[in-house]
Amino acid sequence: MSDGHETWLKQIDAELDGELSLVERAALAKHLATCAHCAGARASQLEVRVALARSAGDPHAHVVPRPIIRGRALAFWAVLALATGIAAGWLAHSRWGGPGGSLEDSRAAIVVH
Amino acid sequence: MPRSSSISALGTLSVAALLIAAQGPGTRVTYRVRVVQDGVLELARGSVSGPAGTDLRFSLRSDSAEIEALFQIVPEGDTVLVAGEFFTKRRWGGGRSRRGLGLWEQDSYRRVVRLAWGDTARIHLFGRPRPSAAREAGLWVEVALVRGFSGGEGRPAEELQVTDSGTDISVEAVVRPRRARVIMNLVRGDTVSGPRGFDLVPEAPAHRVQLAMAGRTTTLEVGLARPEPSPSARDRVLALDADVVCLRVVAPDVAEPVGIICGRLNNVARRLPLPGGDTLVATFAWPAGR
Repeated sequence: MSDGHETWLKQIDAELDGELSLVERAALAKHLATCAHCAGARASQLEVRVALARSAGDPHAHVVPRPIIRGRALAFWAVLALATGIAAGWLAHSRWGGPGGSLEDSRAAIVVH
Repeated sequence: MPRSSSISALGTLSVAALLIAAQGPGTRVTYRVRVVQDGVLELARGSVSGPAGTDLRFSLRSDSAEIEALFQIVPEGDTVLVAGEFFTKRRWGGGRSRRGLGLWEQDSYRRVVRLAWGDTARIHLFGRPRPSAAREAGLWVEVALVRGFSGGEGRPAEELQVTDSGTDISVEAVVRPRRARVIMNLVRGDTVSGPRGFDLVPEAPAHRVQLAMAGRTTTLEVGLARPEPSPSARDRVLALDADVVCLRVVAPDVAEPVGIICGRLNNVARRLPLPGGDTLVATFAWPAGR
């Protein structure tokens, strides 16, 4: 019984995403007419989707709108990450030096006192 | 190879300049050496002295590094040009070969600096400390150069006190012989000729010697030469053959080289078979009064 419901719940999810064929939609409608549990689950799923559409600023959408990454936000985060990396690298280099340094830096040096 | 050529040319010039300087009134050069860790811990202290022309060979070995250097000086008035030839091996990080053996980096290079007599040169063996490091951080060697009159003392001298047994440190005087004492015998079976000794000068014209054994005399022409440069870069850089001489032996009647005997000035007998069945035994030593 539970396995049957699991299958129908997946079908409900797919239907709301517009992924079911006519035959599958017909089978689902027939089941929903006789199963109060699955009909309630479908109503809950629809309410969740309405809430998501509202939060995305499009309450009249037919499907849940996908999140959009705006170019400006992307550029902001890329610049921030780059600046953070440069600052961390500069601090680390001044504190601990580079990874081994150049060959010339590792050779003996004579200083007159 | 260009680098080897330039090193050997510079080395030859240095040796020539030193030998010329050595012709002056008896001058003695002293290298005062200190090995210091982080400015506070003295790992070793010592000195090397000898007649003008004496070089300093320094070595430091630890678990992760081996540094060998030869310091040569060329006096120029009140200043002195110090040339250091370095030969180093360092453990390469945590690197290991496919067979699990530690990997080492090997390097050789030259450093030249001019300083006044009495000045101290600080040699940072692993490079200058990083700007962010403490001012006195790291390992260095201090070499102070002093000259004075020899007062008749011609032998080189070495002295070293090592306070840290975890590091192998040594200093050596390197003196190229201007003369060598060569003692020769003829040997055949149980018969040995009387020894004949000569003070020979490297690269001087050949010397004719007669060795008598069992009622007959053998005449040979012998000349002293310096050995060919070593094929090993390390040996060349550190002048490990500085006290090696070669005796060229020629039979005058056939004007044909009989052979050559090379060895250190360490009183060890070396043998050269002669065409007639005799064996020439030669021993090289520092000349008396050195």
